[in-house]
Amino acid sequence: MNAAQHAEDLPVEDAHATAGHAAGGHGEGEFDAGEVIIEHIANSPLDHPILHGPHIAGIDFSVTKHVMMLWLVAGFLFLVITLATRRFLAQERPIPAGFMNALEAVVQFVRDSMVRPNVGAKWVNTWTPLILTLFVFILTANAVGLVPMFEVLGLVDKAILHTSEESLLNSMLHGGATATANYNVTAALATITFFAIIVAGSMAHGFITHWKNLVPHGLAWPIYILLIPIEVMGMFVKPFALTMRLAANMSGGHIAILAILSLVFIFNQQFGSPLLSMGVGAFVGVPLATGILALEIIVVLVQAYVFALLTSVFVGMAINVHH
Amino acid sequence: MPDPDDHFLARSLEALQENVRRAGPAASAGYTLIGAILLLGGLGHLLDRWAETEPWFLLAGLLTGMVVGFYELAKTVWKP
Repeated sequence: MNAAQHAEDLPVEDAHATAGHAAGGHGEGEFDAGEVIIEHIANSPLDHPILHGPHIAGIDFSVTKHVMMLWLVAGFLFLVITLATRRFLAQERPIPAGFMNALEAVVQFVRDSMVRPNVGAKWVNTWTPLILTLFVFILTANAVGLVPMFEVLGLVDKAILHTSEESLLNSMLHGGATATANYNVTAALATITFFAIIVAGSMAHGFITHWKNLVPHGLAWPIYILLIPIEVMGMFVKPFALTMRLAANMSGGHIAILAILSLVFIFNQQFGSPLLSMGVGAFVGVPLATGILALEIIVVLVQAYVFALLTSVFVGMAINVHH
Repeated sequence: MPDPDDHFLARSLEALQENVRRAGPAASAGYTLIGAILLLGGLGHLLDRWAETEPWFLLAGLLTGMVVGFYELAKTVWKP
């Protein structure tokens, strides 16, 4: 990853945001940092979806930007990984090379240092596929959010193509591109974890025993009146913590970068001196944003890792019950 | 893959993996603590808005959240 390259692209992103904001006719060229930042974090607004879908049972099935990013990431991973694996299996001598080598390293890493220590040798092959899928999917969705491709598209649109307000390209420019910074997406992923925990316990101990295993055996009965509600709440709290952590971490970094780059425009508006604001941009905004982007690359990796790791810890807790 | 024992980067990566792996349960307890307080406090706040009994459900939710969070923390810390 090239952090410096991102930093070069980002002022472009912000310039586009101000241009788009001013063109939106809100204030006469007035810069509102909060509004620009929210537009870059949030999903596309419902009156500007990418594809208008039908309303079925009161649910709007329009494709918004985060839905599009989810499908793009899923399709990309499916194609790339299936093709690489098929080509590898079709070889005469199965020796991995190039991309397949990296893929094998990731699979082996997830299986041997995430799933096996937590879940145990007996169930490792049952749960590695799920946790590997979660890891690779979250990692890719996080990483795609760091690449300002739609901002570059927006610049091309504003400068060269001049498409209309209603065009497909224009509707793609609303909202941020990090699907995992959306609480709905991470809640759906954590719901998978929630059911995985129940399925894991049921597969290992049987459905009834899994629920009995939630609380320790052989205590005086008044304690159970306290313990059972606490354990049931704990069951819901764990996926909730996963939801909040991933989404908050993914949006936090973007907000920090945009807020720092907003300094350029705030200085320009406050002091009316383009030279001063350019100086602030060159000596404060861009270096700080570059540093945070470098941190973001680590955050992208660590958050995907932590989600997968915690899923395997929870699944392992349901399987290996010690009381 | 090259032999992981003789390469500095590979060894650092291995050490990082080991540390993060051992920190896994602790991270889970920490996130569960804050998650419980947030979730149950939020539920309490919503109940308050619905029943117009501010601030009692919020306080009860926060307390229950602390109880649940610390219970999960204790389970991680006092594991046999």
